[in-house]
Amino acid sequence: MQKIWLYVYFPNLQLDALLQQNPSSNLHTQGYVILDEQTNQVCQLNHAAYQAGIRLGMGLGTAAMLKADLQVIPYQQKITKNRLNDIAQNLYLVTSDICFFNDNGLLLQVHNMLNLYGNLTSYWQVVQQQLLGQQVHFHYATGHSPLAAKLLAITAWDQITDNIQTIKRAILQASLQHTDLTVKAVKKLQRVGVHNMQDLLKISLADIAKRFDIEVATYIGKITAQINHPVSFFHPKKSFDRFIELLYDIENIQILQAPLTQLLQGLELFLKTRDLLTQTLVFTLSQRDEKSIELKVHSQQGEYLAKSWAVLISLKLENITLSAPVFAIRLIVENTYIRTPDKSDLFAGNQGRLSRLQLISLLQAKLGEAAVSSPTLTNDYRPEQVIQNAEGLTKAIQPFKLYALRPSFLLTPPQLLQEKVSIAFGPERIETGWWDAKPIIRDYFIARNQLGQWYWVFKTPKGDWYLHGVFS
Amino acid sequence: MHPTISYLKNKNLLWQANHTQSIDNGQHTGFNELNKALQGGFPEYGVIDIRSQLGIGELRLLLPSILTRQQQRQTELVTLIAPPMCINSEMLAEFGFALDQVMVVQPSLNKQVLWSTEQSLKSGCCHSVILWHASLSVTQVKRLQLAAEKGRSLLFIIRQPQQEHISLPVTLGIRLSPSKVGIQAQITKRKGTWSNGSFNIYMGAYWPELSQSEDTNVLAFPSRVCRTG
Repeated sequence: MQKIWLYVYFPNLQLDALLQQNPSSNLHTQGYVILDEQTNQVCQLNHAAYQAGIRLGMGLGTAAMLKADLQVIPYQQKITKNRLNDIAQNLYLVTSDICFFNDNGLLLQVHNMLNLYGNLTSYWQVVQQQLLGQQVHFHYATGHSPLAAKLLAITAWDQITDNIQTIKRAILQASLQHTDLTVKAVKKLQRVGVHNMQDLLKISLADIAKRFDIEVATYIGKITAQINHPVSFFHPKKSFDRFIELLYDIENIQILQAPLTQLLQGLELFLKTRDLLTQTLVFTLSQRDEKSIELKVHSQQGEYLAKSWAVLISLKLENITLSAPVFAIRLIVENTYIRTPDKSDLFAGNQGRLSRLQLISLLQAKLGEAAVSSPTLTNDYRPEQVIQNAEGLTKAIQPFKLYALRPSFLLTPPQLLQEKVSIAFGPERIETGWWDAKPIIRDYFIARNQLGQWYWVFKTPKGDWYLHGVFS
Repeated sequence: MHPTISYLKNKNLLWQANHTQSIDNGQHTGFNELNKALQGGFPEYGVIDIRSQLGIGELRLLLPSILTRQQQRQTELVTLIAPPMCINSEMLAEFGFALDQVMVVQPSLNKQVLWSTEQSLKSGCCHSVILWHASLSVTQVKRLQLAAEKGRSLLFIIRQPQQEHISLPVTLGIRLSPSKVGIQAQITKRKGTWSNGSFNIYMGAYWPELSQSEDTNVLAFPSRVCRTG
């Protein structure tokens, strides 16, 4: 089978990521460049900057001279990598073999996907559709070897073909600057009169190996598919982890909602395509010059919808204050599980807007987890030990014998009885707990005070009277 | 009859003095005296204002009807919001409540109390909500009333009798005072009828030990229940 590779080159990943975050920003009109601080060269630029005459690889000084109001953003590999990863995740839905090349390109193995899609045109239509949905700039090209496809994509060839002759002709047009050869190697070649690929490919591989570095020979061998080029393919991660860098620092919680919504929509897509649900989201809000805030949002019922999460998050956000502006947000979702459809009764009617678990999540998000509880029982005679409030709702435990005549409210701890009461029922002796640190010997009585309130009082062996409960 | 009047009557916006229909769809409270006074029972949904001291049986008065509601709507919750003390789960379980259908909410701020109440009411997954709260304004009660209608839920507000005396727009108002046989009740407000004075509710059927007949002051010899662990 003839091998065909498709290379997609993303020249402006970081700028695209910023634009996607802030659709209303002035990225369209204002000149923006991304500057690689290590080499002091422009590595990404938008259309306005290009029109001003700025080109890739220019120094900051030159660029600034060409356009006075130029906005410069430092290059951050992390953002580019993250964005590329997202794109790969999305492409994985339609094509299987994806390989990362540098920080700004993806290589797709086409020939084994043609069985599924029939021909190259229909395959490209599907891939293109996915790419257009990502709102990124891209150039593409097919090639008979990975490096050939890459070279053509970088020269913005933008053609899809499986005709080797066409591809080879296109390669001959390419200049050496676009190749993967080092600057030193290119200079060396230029000194001997080799200025473009056409000149270079005229020379036989054996001669190149003799006269130039092994690196040049390998490159030529790989590009002409004479040497095998091993690639390692991408496997999508099981968990969701996304980092977004904000275009400008955010100090207001309200404004923070917009980038959060964007993250949530990404999560929704991720979970929906895999038919998964999750219960916990962990946001890390990186604050400038301050410790970052970790925001854990919990839902009792598994959710994937961005809408449902947004409600819980806005409640959580009410309780936090930003001590410094936020410049980046990261969302990690570690545990997911397969969705099982809720079986609800069609005929029950009058079904609420929320399920029980959703209501509990809502209350817990606003009031804190400890504020919502469900009473539980422990098999013990001591009234203090019997009641234990569990957070959230718990399943009923094994039934055991319960004693009648227990008050509705308990005072924790019991207080000394301060008023005159008349005994209505009792005593009921509870003498237990000798095996642990809290033994009790008490005679319990039901008593009524002068105001007609029903009390649960007890007498200790010393003769002290305590009020322990109220029969409301 | 004037067409406007008949129109209003059809819309159920006009009330006439001879028009005290008995409400049969009310839910029985579990106490005959109260059922009679309410001509049926508690409303299906709405806000019930209960003014009572603590510890005279005000919560026990509500338990039988809430338990009935829980049995009718088994997937839904009973929510207790801001109880003044720790709720004793043993009492609830002993009375027949499934504890996993009881939710206790204890907000730290006053503002959050009303918010939680509103959310619980309109969620449609709480059949009854009991709220212990001191001061409520007319607008707050109206909001709760709307939320209760939306979620078809019943809200009981328990508050001290001496607190403010403005008339709140509730579905039903009851004032409770202590009584030896059980509890003394007076309907202070009810849609569509007059109040007919206070009456005693006998609670001995559920809690014989917490009910004394009015005349006898003699204590029965205490039955000694001894338990050692």
